[in-house]
Amino acid sequence: MNSFVKAVGVGFISLGLWSSTALAQDSWWKTAAQPYQGATIRGISESTPASKYVEQVLGPKFTEETGINVEFEATSWDQMYDKAIKDMEANTGIYDFVYIEQDIVYTYLARNFLVDITKSLADNAKIASPDFKPENFTTFLNYFKDPKSGNVMGVPMEAFIKPYLYRKDLFDDPAIQKAYKDSTGADLKPATTHDEYTQIAKFFTEYGADKELWGTTVQASSSHPAAFYEFFESIAPTFGVYNWGIDGTTFAATEANGGQMNSAAAKKALNYWVGLLKYAPPESTSSTWDEVAGTFAAGRAAQGLVYGENAAWIATDESKSTVVGKVGVSLPPVEAGVMEAAESGKGYIGYYDGGAFGIPHSSKNKDASLLFLQYIGQASVQTDWALAGSRIVMNSTYDDPKIVDQDNKMNGYYTLMREDGKLFAGAPPFPFHSQVLQVVAPFIYKAIVGEIKPDDALDQAATAAEAELVKLGYRK
Amino acid sequence: MRQSNIGWLFLAPATLILFVVGFVPFIYILYVGFFDWNTNAVDPTLRWAGLQNYRSLVFDTTFLNSLARTLVFAFFVVVSELLLGYVLARALMADRLWGRQFFRTMHTLPIVVAPIAVGATWRLLCVPGFGIVPYYLKLWFGIDYNISTNAYHAFATAIIMDLWHWMPFVTLSLMAGLTALPKEPLEQAQIDGGNKLQIFWYVIVPMLKPVLLTTVFIRLMDALRSVDEIWMLTKGGPAEATRFIGLHIWINVFPKTDYGYGAAMSLLTLYVTIVLSWLLFVAMTGRKGGAQ
Repeated sequence: MNSFVKAVGVGFISLGLWSSTALAQDSWWKTAAQPYQGATIRGISESTPASKYVEQVLGPKFTEETGINVEFEATSWDQMYDKAIKDMEANTGIYDFVYIEQDIVYTYLARNFLVDITKSLADNAKIASPDFKPENFTTFLNYFKDPKSGNVMGVPMEAFIKPYLYRKDLFDDPAIQKAYKDSTGADLKPATTHDEYTQIAKFFTEYGADKELWGTTVQASSSHPAAFYEFFESIAPTFGVYNWGIDGTTFAATEANGGQMNSAAAKKALNYWVGLLKYAPPESTSSTWDEVAGTFAAGRAAQGLVYGENAAWIATDESKSTVVGKVGVSLPPVEAGVMEAAESGKGYIGYYDGGAFGIPHSSKNKDASLLFLQYIGQASVQTDWALAGSRIVMNSTYDDPKIVDQDNKMNGYYTLMREDGKLFAGAPPFPFHSQVLQVVAPFIYKAIVGEIKPDDALDQAATAAEAELVKLGYRK
Repeated sequence: MRQSNIGWLFLAPATLILFVVGFVPFIYILYVGFFDWNTNAVDPTLRWAGLQNYRSLVFDTTFLNSLARTLVFAFFVVVSELLLGYVLARALMADRLWGRQFFRTMHTLPIVVAPIAVGATWRLLCVPGFGIVPYYLKLWFGIDYNISTNAYHAFATAIIMDLWHWMPFVTLSLMAGLTALPKEPLEQAQIDGGNKLQIFWYVIVPMLKPVLLTTVFIRLMDALRSVDEIWMLTKGGPAEATRFIGLHIWINVFPKTDYGYGAAMSLLTLYVTIVLSWLLFVAMTGRKGGAQ
């Protein structure tokens, strides 16, 4: 009897030990996700290399680990906004997490679309992962903080700069260097000024006349906001025109009222940019960011400003790119004084783009979505994600050996981003982003197709922007 | 009396659905059109504007140009489809045509393709630098065809795309109409010595009028609200060369979130469509109402 009791006791102890070990083997994610097992969260994002990684890798991994299903829609930029905004406006709750591009976050915050992630995690400690640490992120996270409370409203999923890419193989070719020297009297090297850039573009257009090669890419779709973005966020700043030329205090756009949209510098910038179309491949007037990357990857341009999200695959993926190993990276060319202004923090030389995932108030699965956002916000998932999408949102990612190796293959894109990222800036904090864009963009389109002169385009655009801002009540 | 009640009962579900999805939104749009309402404004609430939105529309050159452009597009599309559709209908009815059934099937296929796919396909065909249309036009005729810089090229391509997509519908309608025509009047006209043109104009066209009227109305209303195909093909460009009224309203209502102004635009466009349809009806039937 005594031995029987002992045996039963040992049995219970063993069972207890086994079950506690088994529980300990369950990941934190599985335990935290227990109440949401079988739930399905739906997200929407622009189809970018980084978001495709979420769709194809991180989503399924999260499901495997937590039992929470992730339905992820990676669609075009326009469709993404159209669907996400309509869902949040109508409070339908179709999407549990949405892509927040850096430039739209101010609109979303002004309209109170987003759940306060910091507060939600503080209120529900059971689902606050010890591996999610906001302090791990680069300063890019600051764009997704509520300016009033400082709380996190979105978890960064991609961040990149828009650098100047050039064909290193062509620039380093002694025969081409000689031809360039003979033709221009200058040494062939990546441009640091706009005059140099134009000269190089002209040279390569003539050189490549029978080679399907042109001097530059231009993101100048004559009917897509991509043209507006390239001009106001990548070109105008290099001429010293910041924040779309709109005064952030008075919301003036015309020079007469204190704005810069139609200033001499802005007009010089638009003339320069439209002038580059002479040296760009024919698809340029229908090119958005995707087509620009495609043009460069197809070897049809010697240089160009290309969104960094595409830098990795252009430089390393032979199945998609014909210029693997031939890509050089540098800072965009600027006007005199602009670099100094950027270094002193008084200006910037290009666009620091990216986005985060946030949770709409309309979401029906907020807690499960909070788990997912923390999952993708762990340091451990960042490296492979960066390799796939050339996006870095955490400081520690830069030092990973895999990233260092890829950086070498990309001729220092990540180094450039780490060291000179401070020279770039995101979009201005305008809650009227889309409204002004829709009013101003048609004038840029008209300048592209030659319907009106660039100077007139900016005069009319500035007047129209101000009228819109008066109508919206921002400008008195 | 009892039969009448049952009739209303059968009609009730459809009437209810029409009321909810048709009449209620119409009233709502009518209501919103009297307000200044933009959810991204400093004051995002509805602010009474009276008739200001409608007054602004009269002076809004972008809106008026968009409307005029749409009417031109609709005119070219409907007339071309009617003429070419008739020719094709006669051709596909000809006994001498070898493989008639095959051609009829092939010719009808575009109708089943979704407009968004049609727009995407045509864009791929026409995109500068890569599309086969600009490539061969340059190679064979030396034409620098570019739908992203040349307004005429873009406009013409939009018309041709619409013809490709919807002309089969017109052809099918006219084939059905022609097949149903009684033979006696045609034979009588031949006996009386009428030539082909006279028979066509004085016998066939009057007898086809109901079919023509229906087809023209359907195509006209479709053409006036073209959005998805054009969006995929040109996004309304180059600049605003193909920004038709449906696209213009969409841009104002969604990306610009200018709901009051967009609602006013929608109503004014609806009014223009109704007036246009009525004028067409009068012109084609000689009546001022009471369609039979």
